Amino acid sequence: MRTYVLKRLLIAITSLAIASLAVFSLPRLIPGDVVQLMLEERAYGKDLDDLRAKLGLDRPIYVQYFEWAGRVVRGELGESLWTKRPVLEELGRRLPVSLKLGLLALLFSMSIALPIGILAAVRQDSLADYVARSLAIVGLSVPGFWIATLVIFLPSLWWNWSPPIQFTEFGVDPWAHVAQFIIPAFILGIASSAAIMRLTRAQLLEVLRQDYVRTAWAKGVRERVVVLKHSLKNSLIPVITVLGIQVAQILGGTVIFETIFGLPGMGRFLFDAINQRDYPVIQGVNLVIVSVVILMNLAVDACYAILDPRIRY
Amino acid sequence: MANHVGTLTSPSTRTDVPHRAAAGAPLLHAIWRFCRRKPLGALGGVIVLVMIVMAVFAPYIAHYTYDETIRGARMKPPSAQFWMGSDNLGRDIWSRVVYGARISVTVGFCAVLIANVLAAGIGITSGYLGGKYDLCVQRVVDAWQSFPFLVVILSIMAVLGPGLLNIILALGFFGAANASRVVRGATVSIVQNVYIEAARALGAGHVRIMVRHILPNVAATIIVWATIGLGAFILAESALSFLGFGVPPPYPSWGGMLAGSGRSFFSQAPWMAIYPGLAISLAVFGFNMLGDALRDVLDPRLRGAGGRVR
Amino acid sequence: MDASQSKLTRKLSRRDLLRTGLAAGAMLSTESALASRHAWAQPKRGGVLRVWGYDPPHFDPHLILGGKTHNTLSFVYSRLLRHKVGAEVAPGSFIIEPDLAERWDEVDELTYVFHLRRGVRWHNKPPVNGRELVADDVKFTYERFLTEKGNPVRYMLDAVDRVEVVDRYTVRFRLKEPFVWLPNMLANPMSTWIVAREVVEKYSDLRKAETAIGTGPFILERYEPNVKTVFRRNPDYFRSGQPWVDGVEWVVMDDAVSALAAYRAGKLDCGGWHWWSVRQQDLAAMKKSHPHLGYQDFLSTVTNRIWMRTDKPPFNDVRVRRAISHAVDRQAVIDAVYLRGEPSPAVSRGLPEWSLRIDQLGPGARYYRHDPKEARRLLADAGFPQGFKTQLSGTSGLGADLVDALQFVQRQLKEAGIEAELRIQEYGAYMSTTTQGKFEGMAMGPFAISWEPHSPLYGMYLPDQPRNSSHVNDPRLTGMLKEQMRIKQLEARRKLIFDIQRYAAEQQYYVDLYSVGITGSWQPYVKNYAPNPTFDYGGRAAALWLER
Repeated sequence: MRTYVLKRLLIAITSLAIASLAVFSLPRLIPGDVVQLMLEERAYGKDLDDLRAKLGLDRPIYVQYFEWAGRVVRGELGESLWTKRPVLEELGRRLPVSLKLGLLALLFSMSIALPIGILAAVRQDSLADYVARSLAIVGLSVPGFWIATLVIFLPSLWWNWSPPIQFTEFGVDPWAHVAQFIIPAFILGIASSAAIMRLTRAQLLEVLRQDYVRTAWAKGVRERVVVLKHSLKNSLIPVITVLGIQVAQILGGTVIFETIFGLPGMGRFLFDAINQRDYPVIQGVNLVIVSVVILMNLAVDACYAILDPRIRY
Repeated sequence: MANHVGTLTSPSTRTDVPHRAAAGAPLLHAIWRFCRRKPLGALGGVIVLVMIVMAVFAPYIAHYTYDETIRGARMKPPSAQFWMGSDNLGRDIWSRVVYGARISVTVGFCAVLIANVLAAGIGITSGYLGGKYDLCVQRVVDAWQSFPFLVVILSIMAVLGPGLLNIILALGFFGAANASRVVRGATVSIVQNVYIEAARALGAGHVRIMVRHILPNVAATIIVWATIGLGAFILAESALSFLGFGVPPPYPSWGGMLAGSGRSFFSQAPWMAIYPGLAISLAVFGFNMLGDALRDVLDPRLRGAGGRVR
Repeated sequence: MDASQSKLTRKLSRRDLLRTGLAAGAMLSTESALASRHAWAQPKRGGVLRVWGYDPPHFDPHLILGGKTHNTLSFVYSRLLRHKVGAEVAPGSFIIEPDLAERWDEVDELTYVFHLRRGVRWHNKPPVNGRELVADDVKFTYERFLTEKGNPVRYMLDAVDRVEVVDRYTVRFRLKEPFVWLPNMLANPMSTWIVAREVVEKYSDLRKAETAIGTGPFILERYEPNVKTVFRRNPDYFRSGQPWVDGVEWVVMDDAVSALAAYRAGKLDCGGWHWWSVRQQDLAAMKKSHPHLGYQDFLSTVTNRIWMRTDKPPFNDVRVRRAISHAVDRQAVIDAVYLRGEPSPAVSRGLPEWSLRIDQLGPGARYYRHDPKEARRLLADAGFPQGFKTQLSGTSGLGADLVDALQFVQRQLKEAGIEAELRIQEYGAYMSTTTQGKFEGMAMGPFAISWEPHSPLYGMYLPDQPRNSSHVNDPRLTGMLKEQMRIKQLEARRKLIFDIQRYAAEQQYYVDLYSVGITGSWQPYVKNYAPNPTFDYGGRAAALWLER
């Protein structure tokens, strides 16, 4: 068990290192470097070079990379080129927002997906299966931002109601803080519930054909006990994998919802940084997201080892 | 963004029964059986077919060209002349939706092609060759997969700039990571079969084995993945349009129509958004249903005992 | 409405209308919008103004071109001169009045002296700690303005040689050449904010929110990125009484649908979009469902135009440029995309004092007529009987409106035989290349905002200026521009500005398009407020009060 976890840890670190290379080089491929953008004019050529030197952008790429990597290991993610605020400080403010959104979305997602997936598997190819699956897919088929638009536009038209206009910190008003996540998390949850539902259904179908389950049927055990007690646990293992991936997707991919609902999350932070060519921010955010994902995968692998003694590769 | 991970193989060490194609049975008969057994999938198939027909025969189905502005016809509600109404520039929305099918089909199919070719290449070689090669490649795929969708796409789009080809490349590149994982999983379970060993013993080269023996059996996985991926890419394009990185004008993309002026003019002319939105939803619904049904049919382990398990 | 009004008048006239004239006037008017403009109403203290705001990329006024920073800084800082604010100021009028300088003299052609108010105090925050504003602060500010590397609006004060301190409350500006627009430049709410030396020395620049310490009506209490900026009332503000509200919440809402919903729900005190407006697309529905709100139509002072490489063929031929102008149907674009607006010459119609109507442009006016046939004829004359191929650049980062307009214009150009390939750039790439003259063919978009005619003309048409994106080099135009800078007499200057616009219309170095229509809106309890498209949101916020 210990060697397994250690081996996965080593693998995770390697992945992280490779990812960091991508994280570092990606923003630098974007045309129109930050200095040009900051100065917004062409006449002062000498100023451009001076500013580049000041920002350390004139040294060879690999030197910049190793400097950056070195500082990252020591916990310094640098400062934003535009606002001069430390990236880590800003991330510390935004990561919890994105995480809360993601986790709440997952909660909604699972509470929709699991019951429907189980139902669909147990009543395969029946009307209930079709209806359940159709509903789940419909939730997935409508673009998220469109659902969000309708959810905001129509109530304001009919009842002069709108969601909260500004972000409330937990300390200021705990209930309002949680409430502002509910609508966006629900909409996000609908979209990802289809994937989880499908997986649950597929895995449960597989498990239900296993010999030990047939034995249970033959022994006359009730359906509910067979499904919930014997089959569900085993079929949930891959579902955990998917959950891990979903959190990753949500972490960096919610810029649209953050814009519409006014949540100061990582998505907008990253999006603005890309538009402004703010390299330290782009790198910092990417690195954090990638690390969280890899760590999540590591945790999932560890869960596997605990849950299924057969898994050891 | 929905992640269409529905793994066909679980991370267990069970070997899989090699899938035998319905050799001998004519294709039409197979399709008929499919429709009977999987009505939802058949419905999805019909939707997909309609979309492809719209895409191919667009000039004959549409009433105007997609950028034709008709004088005095701004923001007209649906009528006999404008089946889906007209937009704020005086363009017929029905025609734009029809030509939009072309864009969606092009973007979707090309992106899926790129993604799955890459995925097949990486997944099959990785699963088959194993060893150090597999270890290294999978670490790179790990790193690749850990970047969330928008991060990758936005970065690539910022590098390449907006453009139809660039969107296809970005989406294809992103989709390849997940797909390659799935292909590798399927390959691993096939490689353990005896007949592969037999082929090696008979002196068949690596490439020959990969192409002649593994690829056909992984094809089912790829097809299912591709079908669902098409739906996901159409959704992805609409999200990109919202952020300003979608298919650039004047090409009409459903996502662009929905997220751009459709949303802007929703107070005055809701039909500008409703019809493209409906088109997207139907298309994604169709692809997903079809993909689900195909998976049920092509993966022998998931075939039910014809109803309740009792 | 009219019938009942006259009935009431007759009734009142029996009771001596003259005696109760003003009061009757107040009683007769039932529109709350009208009532809010009456200046004799008593200001009411208290309340927090919640408004749609911007998220500044940073807080340094000398390192930014965009309005987002200046809009935010307008709450916290003051400048030497400012534009009048209040309900009686009609949008589009930019009347210069004293701010930190209580009066100024033009000693000679090359020297201006400004006399500062006494007793103006900086905000009571370290490191400035509420000390008095002195002439040295002004000198420091403008030296920084002129010397700070990367100040994109330095050209505004090209004519200034140096700034000198005469005594504790007197500052002297020495010019290199005559420049009658100096007071206007100093009144522009763009990079003219007076900053304190101690703050710059302590923080080395003014990017962080903590450095926003000024002499303005509000003190920056808290800045939450992507969320809002919170301002509280400055009790020591030099305009006694102001601000009337206790604070302002400058809320960032990037999405138009959410912002409109918030305004509808009464969570915003003024319109939820740029300039505290309601978007034209939503206006009809809003007026129906919320008729009691204040609405005011006006025109934007931003110049929307097509610029092109006039230093290269084919655009170096004036006939080609005129053909492009004939090809574009400006009114059609306005009707289709912006719903309201007015075709505009080189100076935006949002500046009615300085801008000419199209029909007043003389011989150049004919090029504004939509005439694809004439365009083809001109192109054939210029040697392009089959038209020609080129590029049309734009960006998706300034909204879906611009993208629609680009498509529309592209189609119109096609009718005239010009095949323009649409090149939509991402915002960052667009700002660092196309707006700075690094492009091929043509480009289109909103170009510059201004509140006097000098900056859009001077900066865009003079050969060595950084914002001369069309690469214009016309000695006659250069001569006229240099001349208008020295004419003191207002009417003579105005006449020359008009002549410049007429000449520009004939030459079409820039194909000027239109000024977009805007409708400002506010809740009925917001008093003494009139919208005006300047960055001085702080000034307007300080003058208004909330009655509820």
